[in-house]
Amino acid sequence: MNCKEVEEREILEEYLLDRLTEPDREEFEKHYFECASCFSQLQTRLAVQAELQRQPAIPARARGAGFRLAWAWTPAFVTVALLLAVGVWWYSAQKHTPSQQASSSPPTASPEISVPSTPPTSTAPSLEALARVEPPPYSEIVLRGAEDKGHEAFRTAMQNYSKEDYAKAIPGLQTAVKANPQAASFNFYLGAGYLLTDRTDPAIVYLRKTISLGNPAYSESAHFYLAKAYLKKKDVSAAEEELQKTVQFHGSRETEAEEILRELRK
Amino acid sequence: MHEFSHRIFVMGVVRTHDREAARELVQDVLIAVIGALRKGQLQDAEKLAAFVHGTARNLINNQLRTASQQPPLESLPEDLAQENLVEQLEDAERGRLVHQALERLGQEDRKILLMTLVEGCKPGEIAAALGLSSEVVRTRKLRALKKVTDLIEKKLSRT
Repeated sequence: MNCKEVEEREILEEYLLDRLTEPDREEFEKHYFECASCFSQLQTRLAVQAELQRQPAIPARARGAGFRLAWAWTPAFVTVALLLAVGVWWYSAQKHTPSQQASSSPPTASPEISVPSTPPTSTAPSLEALARVEPPPYSEIVLRGAEDKGHEAFRTAMQNYSKEDYAKAIPGLQTAVKANPQAASFNFYLGAGYLLTDRTDPAIVYLRKTISLGNPAYSESAHFYLAKAYLKKKDVSAAEEELQKTVQFHGSRETEAEEILRELRK
Repeated sequence: MHEFSHRIFVMGVVRTHDREAARELVQDVLIAVIGALRKGQLQDAEKLAAFVHGTARNLINNQLRTASQQPPLESLPEDLAQENLVEQLEDAERGRLVHQALERLGQEDRKILLMTLVEGCKPGEIAAALGLSSEVVRTRKLRALKKVTDLIEKKLSRT
Protein backbone atom coordinates (compact mmCIF):
# COMPACT_ATOMS: atom_id res chain seq x y z
CA MET A 1 0.00 0.00 0.00
CA ASN A 2 1.22 3.53 -0.76
CA CYS A 3 0.19 7.08 0.16
CA LYS A 4 -1.71 7.60 -3.10
CA GLU A 5 -3.82 4.51 -2.53
CA VAL A 6 -4.46 5.58 1.07
CA GLU A 7 -5.83 8.90 -0.18
CA GLU A 8 -7.82 7.55 -3.13
CA ARG A 9 -9.55 4.77 -1.19
CA GLU A 10 -10.14 6.94 1.88
CA ILE A 11 -8.28 4.31 3.87
CA LEU A 12 -7.72 6.62 6.86
CA GLU A 13 -11.46 6.97 7.53
CA GLU A 14 -12.20 3.33 6.73
CA TYR A 15 -9.48 2.22 9.14
CA LEU A 16 -10.72 4.44 11.97
CA LEU A 17 -14.27 3.22 11.43
CA ASP A 18 -13.00 -0.37 11.54
CA ARG A 19 -14.38 -1.10 8.08
CA LEU A 20 -11.29 -2.44 6.33
CA THR A 21 -10.91 -6.09 5.53
CA GLU A 22 -8.25 -7.85 7.63
CA PRO A 23 -5.66 -7.93 4.78
CA ASP A 24 -6.22 -4.22 4.01
CA ARG A 25 -5.98 -3.31 7.68
CA GLU A 26 -2.75 -5.25 7.99
CA GLU A 27 -1.33 -3.59 4.86
CA PHE A 28 -2.28 -0.11 6.03
CA GLU A 29 -0.81 -0.65 9.49
CA LYS A 30 2.46 -1.83 7.97
CA HIS A 31 2.40 1.30 5.80
CA TYR A 32 1.83 3.81 8.60
CA PHE A 33 4.46 2.15 10.80
CA GLU A 34 6.92 3.49 8.24
CA CYS A 35 5.17 6.53 6.75
CA ALA A 36 5.30 9.69 8.87
CA SER A 37 2.90 11.64 6.66
CA CYS A 38 0.07 9.09 6.69
CA PHE A 39 0.55 8.48 10.40
CA SER A 40 0.32 12.20 11.17
CA GLN A 41 -2.97 12.42 9.23
CA LEU A 42 -4.26 9.33 11.01
CA GLN A 43 -3.38 10.78 14.43
CA THR A 44 -5.26 14.00 13.64
CA ARG A 45 -8.34 12.12 12.49
CA LEU A 46 -8.29 9.88 15.55
CA ALA A 47 -8.08 12.92 17.85
CA VAL A 48 -10.90 14.67 15.93
CA GLN A 49 -13.03 11.53 16.07
CA ALA A 50 -12.52 11.23 19.85
CA GLU A 51 -13.32 14.90 20.39
CA LEU A 52 -16.45 14.83 18.23
CA GLN A 53 -17.70 11.75 20.09
CA ARG A 54 -17.38 13.71 23.33
CA GLN A 55 -19.17 16.83 22.05
CA PRO A 56 -22.95 17.29 22.17
CA ALA A 57 -24.81 16.70 18.90
CA ILE A 58 -24.63 19.43 16.27
CA PRO A 59 -28.09 20.76 15.31
CA ALA A 60 -29.63 18.75 12.49
CA ARG A 61 -29.28 21.40 9.80
CA ALA A 62 -25.98 23.18 9.61
CA ARG A 63 -26.07 26.92 9.13
CA GLY A 64 -24.76 27.03 5.55
CA ALA A 65 -27.16 24.42 4.26
CA GLY A 66 -30.02 26.12 6.09
CA PHE A 67 -29.23 29.40 4.42
CA ARG A 68 -29.27 27.83 0.96
CA LEU A 69 -32.40 25.85 1.70
CA ALA A 70 -34.09 28.94 3.12
CA TRP A 71 -33.69 30.60 -0.27
CA ALA A 72 -34.86 27.47 -2.02
CA TRP A 73 -38.04 27.49 0.10
CA THR A 74 -38.77 31.20 -0.36
CA PRO A 75 -41.69 30.60 -2.79
CA ALA A 76 -43.23 28.18 -0.30
CA PHE A 77 -42.90 30.68 2.56
CA VAL A 78 -44.48 33.42 0.41
CA THR A 79 -47.38 31.11 -0.44
CA VAL A 80 -47.92 30.24 3.23
CA ALA A 81 -47.79 33.93 4.20
CA LEU A 82 -50.35 34.81 1.49
CA LEU A 83 -52.64 31.99 2.61
CA LEU A 84 -52.37 33.22 6.20
CA ALA A 85 -53.20 36.77 5.15
CA VAL A 86 -56.25 35.57 3.20
CA GLY A 87 -57.28 33.45 6.20
CA VAL A 88 -57.03 36.39 8.58
CA TRP A 89 -58.99 38.56 6.11
CA TRP A 90 -61.68 35.87 5.86
CA TYR A 91 -61.82 35.59 9.65
CA SER A 92 -62.21 39.35 9.90
CA ALA A 93 -64.91 39.41 7.22
CA GLN A 94 -66.85 36.66 9.00
CA LYS A 95 -66.60 38.55 12.26
CA HIS A 96 -68.21 41.56 10.63
CA THR A 97 -71.23 39.85 9.07
CA PRO A 98 -74.54 41.84 9.48
CA SER A 99 -75.90 39.59 12.21
CA GLN A 100 -72.90 40.27 14.40
CA GLN A 101 -72.46 43.94 13.58
CA ALA A 102 -75.24 45.10 15.90
CA SER A 103 -73.37 44.01 18.95
CA SER A 104 -69.83 44.61 17.73
CA SER A 105 -67.84 47.62 16.64
CA PRO A 106 -69.11 49.74 13.69
CA PRO A 107 -68.50 48.30 10.24
CA THR A 108 -65.44 49.43 8.39
CA ALA A 109 -65.60 50.61 4.80
CA SER A 110 -63.13 48.07 3.49
CA PRO A 111 -62.31 44.49 4.51
CA GLU A 112 -59.40 45.50 6.70
CA ILE A 113 -57.13 42.81 8.01
CA SER A 114 -57.64 42.74 11.73
CA VAL A 115 -55.23 40.85 13.90
CA PRO A 116 -56.65 39.50 17.14
CA SER A 117 -54.98 41.01 20.22
CA THR A 118 -54.11 37.55 21.52
CA PRO A 119 -53.01 34.73 19.25
CA PRO A 120 -55.70 32.13 18.65
CA THR A 121 -55.14 29.06 20.78
CA SER A 122 -54.78 25.83 18.85
CA THR A 123 -55.32 22.31 20.04
CA ALA A 124 -53.33 20.90 17.09
CA PRO A 125 -50.27 18.90 18.17
CA SER A 126 -46.89 20.57 17.73
CA LEU A 127 -44.38 19.54 15.06
CA GLU A 128 -42.28 17.98 17.82
CA ALA A 129 -45.24 15.82 18.82
CA LEU A 130 -45.90 14.79 15.23
CA ALA A 131 -42.20 13.98 14.76
CA ARG A 132 -42.19 11.62 17.72
CA VAL A 133 -41.04 8.19 16.63
CA GLU A 134 -42.23 4.83 17.81
CA PRO A 135 -39.57 2.22 17.01
CA PRO A 136 -40.50 0.04 14.03
CA PRO A 137 -41.31 -3.42 15.37
CA TYR A 138 -38.90 -6.24 14.72
CA SER A 139 -39.39 -9.96 14.99
CA GLU A 140 -36.42 -12.20 14.48
CA ILE A 141 -36.18 -14.09 11.24
CA VAL A 142 -34.46 -17.45 11.58
CA LEU A 143 -32.45 -18.42 8.51
CA ARG A 144 -31.76 -21.95 7.49
CA GLY A 145 -28.19 -22.91 6.80
CA ALA A 146 -24.99 -21.01 7.53
CA GLU A 147 -25.20 -17.31 8.30
CA ASP A 148 -23.02 -14.88 6.38
CA LYS A 149 -21.12 -12.07 8.12
CA GLY A 150 -23.85 -9.52 7.39
CA HIS A 151 -26.69 -11.59 8.80
CA GLU A 152 -24.63 -12.48 11.84
CA ALA A 153 -23.89 -8.80 12.55
CA PHE A 154 -27.55 -7.92 11.90
CA ARG A 155 -28.87 -10.58 14.26
CA THR A 156 -26.54 -9.47 17.06
CA ALA A 157 -27.35 -5.78 16.47
CA MET A 158 -31.08 -6.46 16.54
CA GLN A 159 -30.75 -8.06 19.96
CA ASN A 160 -29.68 -4.61 21.20
CA TYR A 161 -32.44 -3.01 19.12
CA SER A 162 -35.02 -5.26 20.77
CA LYS A 163 -33.71 -4.14 24.16
CA GLU A 164 -34.28 -0.54 22.98
CA ASP A 165 -30.52 0.11 23.07
CA TYR A 166 -30.50 1.70 19.62
CA ALA A 167 -27.11 3.41 19.98
CA LYS A 168 -25.51 0.04 20.69
CA ALA A 169 -27.30 -1.52 17.72
CA ILE A 170 -25.91 0.98 15.20
CA PRO A 171 -22.29 -0.29 14.83
CA GLY A 172 -23.54 -3.84 14.16
CA LEU A 173 -26.08 -2.55 11.65
CA GLN A 174 -23.31 -0.58 9.93
CA THR A 175 -21.28 -3.77 9.68
CA ALA A 176 -24.31 -5.60 8.28
CA VAL A 177 -24.93 -2.91 5.64
CA LYS A 178 -21.28 -2.91 4.69
CA ALA A 179 -21.33 -6.68 4.23
CA ASN A 180 -24.58 -6.62 2.28
CA PRO A 181 -25.41 -3.12 0.99
CA GLN A 182 -28.40 -4.36 -1.02
CA ALA A 183 -30.31 -5.78 1.96
CA ALA A 184 -33.34 -3.51 2.50
CA SER A 185 -33.88 -4.77 6.06
CA PHE A 186 -30.31 -3.87 7.09
CA ASN A 187 -30.58 -0.38 5.59
CA PHE A 188 -34.05 0.17 7.03
CA TYR A 189 -33.17 -0.71 10.61
CA LEU A 190 -29.92 1.27 10.39
CA GLY A 191 -31.98 4.29 9.27
CA ALA A 192 -34.47 3.63 12.07
CA GLY A 193 -31.62 3.29 14.59
CA TYR A 194 -30.21 6.66 13.57
CA LEU A 195 -33.66 8.23 13.75
CA LEU A 196 -34.29 6.83 17.21
CA THR A 197 -30.99 8.27 18.42
CA ASP A 198 -31.76 11.69 16.90
CA ARG A 199 -29.11 11.43 14.17
CA THR A 200 -31.49 12.62 11.51
CA ASP A 201 -29.16 13.18 8.56
CA PRO A 202 -27.75 9.65 8.36
CA ALA A 203 -31.29 8.37 9.09
CA ILE A 204 -32.48 10.12 5.93
CA VAL A 205 -29.60 8.66 3.94
CA TYR A 206 -30.38 5.04 4.89
CA LEU A 207 -34.15 5.36 4.69
CA ARG A 208 -33.80 6.84 1.20
CA LYS A 209 -31.50 4.00 0.30
CA THR A 210 -34.08 1.49 1.58
CA ILE A 211 -36.67 3.06 -0.71
CA SER A 212 -34.28 2.96 -3.67
CA LEU A 213 -33.83 -0.80 -3.16
CA GLY A 214 -37.54 -1.26 -3.94
CA ASN A 215 -38.25 -4.06 -1.48
CA PRO A 216 -42.04 -3.92 -0.95
CA ALA A 217 -41.70 -5.25 2.60
CA TYR A 218 -39.87 -2.09 3.68
CA SER A 219 -40.86 0.65 1.20
CA GLU A 220 -44.02 1.85 2.96
CA SER A 221 -42.37 1.98 6.39
CA ALA A 222 -39.28 3.65 4.94
CA HIS A 223 -41.44 6.46 3.47
CA PHE A 224 -43.26 6.80 6.78
CA TYR A 225 -40.10 7.04 8.89
CA LEU A 226 -38.51 9.33 6.32
CA ALA A 227 -41.49 11.65 6.85
CA LYS A 228 -40.79 11.51 10.59
CA ALA A 229 -37.14 12.41 9.93
CA TYR A 230 -38.22 15.46 7.90
CA LEU A 231 -40.65 16.46 10.65
CA LYS A 232 -37.75 16.33 13.10
CA LYS A 233 -35.93 18.70 10.77
CA LYS A 234 -39.10 20.86 10.59
CA ASP A 235 -39.19 20.35 6.82
CA VAL A 236 -42.97 20.11 6.59
CA SER A 237 -43.20 20.10 2.81
CA ALA A 238 -40.80 17.13 2.42
CA ALA A 239 -42.59 15.32 5.26
CA GLU A 240 -45.97 15.80 3.55
CA GLU A 241 -44.58 14.39 0.33
CA GLU A 242 -43.34 11.25 2.10
CA LEU A 243 -46.62 10.84 4.01
CA GLN A 244 -48.59 11.03 0.75
CA LYS A 245 -46.35 8.31 -0.68
CA THR A 246 -46.98 6.25 2.47
CA VAL A 247 -50.74 6.59 2.02
CA GLN A 248 -50.49 5.39 -1.59
CA PHE A 249 -49.36 1.97 -0.35
CA HIS A 250 -52.73 1.51 1.46
CA GLY A 251 -50.86 -0.55 4.03
CA SER A 252 -50.55 -0.66 7.80
CA ARG A 253 -49.23 2.93 8.03
CA GLU A 254 -52.00 4.48 5.92
CA THR A 255 -54.28 5.67 8.76
CA GLU A 256 -51.44 7.11 10.83
CA ALA A 257 -49.97 8.90 7.81
CA GLU A 258 -53.36 10.39 6.94
CA GLU A 259 -53.86 11.61 10.51
CA ILE A 260 -50.48 13.36 10.50
CA LEU A 261 -51.25 14.89 7.11
CA ARG A 262 -54.56 16.24 8.48
CA GLU A 263 -52.80 17.75 11.49
CA LEU A 264 -50.16 19.36 9.28
CA ARG A 265 -52.83 20.97 7.10
CA LYS A 266 -54.73 22.45 10.06
CA MET B 1 10.89 3.61 20.34
CA HIS B 2 9.04 6.90 20.93
CA GLU B 3 7.81 6.95 17.32
CA PHE B 4 6.67 3.35 17.54
CA SER B 5 4.81 3.80 20.81
CA HIS B 6 2.50 6.40 19.19
CA ARG B 7 1.77 3.99 16.37
CA ILE B 8 1.12 1.07 18.70
CA PHE B 9 -1.24 3.26 20.71
CA VAL B 10 -3.26 4.25 17.62
CA MET B 11 -3.36 0.65 16.47
CA GLY B 12 -4.54 -0.41 19.94
CA VAL B 13 -7.29 2.23 20.04
CA VAL B 14 -8.62 1.25 16.62
CA ARG B 15 -8.54 -2.47 17.30
CA THR B 16 -9.77 -2.48 20.92
CA HIS B 17 -11.88 0.75 21.01
CA ASP B 18 -10.42 1.30 24.47
CA ARG B 19 -7.81 4.00 25.10
CA GLU B 20 -6.80 2.65 28.50
CA ALA B 21 -6.32 -0.86 27.13
CA ALA B 22 -4.33 0.66 24.23
CA ARG B 23 -2.03 2.47 26.68
CA GLU B 24 -1.34 -0.77 28.51
CA LEU B 25 -0.74 -2.52 25.22
CA VAL B 26 1.97 0.01 24.33
CA GLN B 27 3.86 -1.04 27.45
CA ASP B 28 3.37 -4.75 26.77
CA VAL B 29 4.50 -4.43 23.15
CA LEU B 30 7.59 -2.36 24.01
CA ILE B 31 8.60 -4.84 26.70
CA ALA B 32 8.14 -7.74 24.28
CA VAL B 33 10.11 -5.98 21.50
CA ILE B 34 12.97 -5.00 23.81
CA GLY B 35 13.09 -8.56 25.14
CA ALA B 36 13.21 -9.95 21.61
CA LEU B 37 15.93 -7.50 20.55
CA ARG B 38 18.03 -8.46 23.57
CA LYS B 39 17.72 -12.09 22.57
CA GLY B 40 18.82 -11.20 19.04
CA GLN B 41 15.58 -12.32 17.46
CA LEU B 42 15.63 -9.55 14.85
CA GLN B 43 18.19 -10.32 12.16
CA ASP B 44 17.64 -7.35 9.85
CA ALA B 45 17.51 -3.93 11.55
CA GLU B 46 15.69 -2.46 8.54
CA LYS B 47 12.73 -4.66 9.36
CA LEU B 48 12.29 -3.20 12.84
CA ALA B 49 9.02 -1.40 11.95
CA ALA B 50 7.46 -4.59 10.56
CA PHE B 51 8.73 -6.50 13.60
CA VAL B 52 7.14 -4.03 16.04
CA HIS B 53 3.90 -4.08 14.05
CA GLY B 54 3.79 -7.88 14.03
CA THR B 55 4.42 -8.02 17.79
CA ALA B 56 1.71 -5.44 18.43
CA ARG B 57 -0.79 -7.28 16.23
CA ASN B 58 -0.13 -10.59 17.99
CA LEU B 59 -0.46 -9.12 21.47
CA ILE B 60 -3.66 -7.25 20.56
CA ASN B 61 -5.17 -10.38 19.04
CA ASN B 62 -4.22 -12.37 22.14
CA GLN B 63 -5.82 -9.78 24.35
CA LEU B 64 -9.01 -9.68 22.28
CA ARG B 65 -9.15 -13.47 22.37
CA THR B 66 -8.79 -13.69 26.15
CA ALA B 67 -11.04 -10.60 26.54
CA SER B 68 -9.40 -9.78 29.83
CA GLN B 69 -6.66 -7.33 30.48
CA GLN B 70 -3.58 -8.90 31.95
CA PRO B 71 -1.27 -6.67 33.96
CA PRO B 72 2.17 -6.19 32.37
CA LEU B 73 4.45 -9.10 33.13
CA GLU B 74 7.19 -6.80 34.25
CA SER B 75 7.54 -3.09 34.86
CA LEU B 76 8.87 -0.76 32.17
CA PRO B 77 12.49 0.32 32.24
CA GLU B 78 12.64 3.82 33.77
CA ASP B 79 13.31 5.68 30.50
CA LEU B 80 10.35 3.96 28.77
CA ALA B 81 8.06 4.62 31.74
CA GLN B 82 9.01 8.29 31.52
CA GLU B 83 8.28 8.23 27.79
CA ASN B 84 4.89 6.66 28.48
CA LEU B 85 4.02 9.55 30.78
CA VAL B 86 5.14 12.08 28.14
CA GLU B 87 2.89 10.34 25.60
CA GLN B 88 -0.10 10.56 27.91
CA LEU B 89 0.51 14.28 28.39
CA GLU B 90 0.92 14.76 24.63
CA ASP B 91 -2.30 12.86 24.03
CA ALA B 92 -4.18 15.07 26.50
CA GLU B 93 -2.66 18.22 24.98
CA ARG B 94 -3.57 17.05 21.46
CA GLY B 95 -7.17 16.52 22.63
CA ARG B 96 -7.31 20.04 24.08
CA LEU B 97 -5.93 21.56 20.87
CA VAL B 98 -8.36 19.59 18.70
CA HIS B 99 -11.20 20.91 20.86
CA GLN B 100 -9.97 24.47 20.25
CA ALA B 101 -9.54 23.88 16.53
CA LEU B 102 -13.04 22.39 16.15
CA GLU B 103 -14.54 25.39 17.92
CA ARG B 104 -13.02 27.61 15.24
CA LEU B 105 -14.52 25.63 12.38
CA GLY B 106 -17.89 26.52 10.88
CA GLN B 107 -20.85 24.42 11.96
CA GLU B 108 -21.21 22.82 8.54
CA ASP B 109 -17.53 21.82 8.42
CA ARG B 110 -17.85 20.22 11.87
CA LYS B 111 -20.96 18.44 10.66
CA ILE B 112 -18.98 17.05 7.69
CA LEU B 113 -16.27 15.77 10.05
CA LEU B 114 -18.84 14.30 12.42
CA MET B 115 -20.67 12.50 9.65
CA THR B 116 -17.36 11.22 8.21
CA LEU B 117 -15.49 10.13 11.31
CA VAL B 118 -18.23 9.27 13.79
CA GLU B 119 -21.33 8.38 11.81
CA GLY B 120 -19.33 6.69 9.06
CA CYS B 121 -21.10 8.36 6.12
CA LYS B 122 -19.52 8.44 2.66
CA PRO B 123 -19.00 11.79 0.86
CA GLY B 124 -21.98 11.04 -1.41
CA GLU B 125 -24.25 10.44 1.59
CA ILE B 126 -23.07 13.62 3.31
CA ALA B 127 -23.52 15.53 0.08
CA ALA B 128 -27.13 14.31 -0.20
CA ALA B 129 -27.89 15.22 3.41
CA LEU B 130 -26.34 18.70 3.29
CA GLY B 131 -27.28 19.67 -0.25
CA LEU B 132 -23.67 19.84 -1.49
CA SER B 133 -21.74 17.97 -4.16
CA SER B 134 -19.49 15.04 -3.20
CA GLU B 135 -16.47 16.94 -4.46
CA VAL B 136 -17.27 19.92 -2.23
CA VAL B 137 -17.70 17.60 0.75
CA ARG B 138 -14.28 16.01 0.08
CA THR B 139 -12.58 19.38 -0.33
CA ARG B 140 -14.15 20.84 2.79
CA LYS B 141 -13.32 17.75 4.83
CA LEU B 142 -9.65 17.95 3.82
CA ARG B 143 -9.53 21.72 4.37
CA ALA B 144 -11.09 21.38 7.85
CA LEU B 145 -8.67 18.60 8.80
CA LYS B 146 -5.75 20.68 7.55
CA LYS B 147 -6.84 23.58 9.75
CA VAL B 148 -6.92 21.24 12.75
CA THR B 149 -3.51 19.74 11.87
CA ASP B 150 -1.94 23.18 11.35
CA LEU B 151 -3.14 24.39 14.75
CA ILE B 152 -1.89 21.27 16.53
CA GLU B 153 1.50 21.38 14.85
CA LYS B 154 1.87 25.11 15.47
CA LYS B 155 1.05 24.81 19.17
CA LEU B 156 2.93 21.56 19.80
CA SER B 157 6.07 22.87 18.07
CA ARG B 158 6.09 25.85 20.48
CA THR B 159 6.16 23.61 23.56
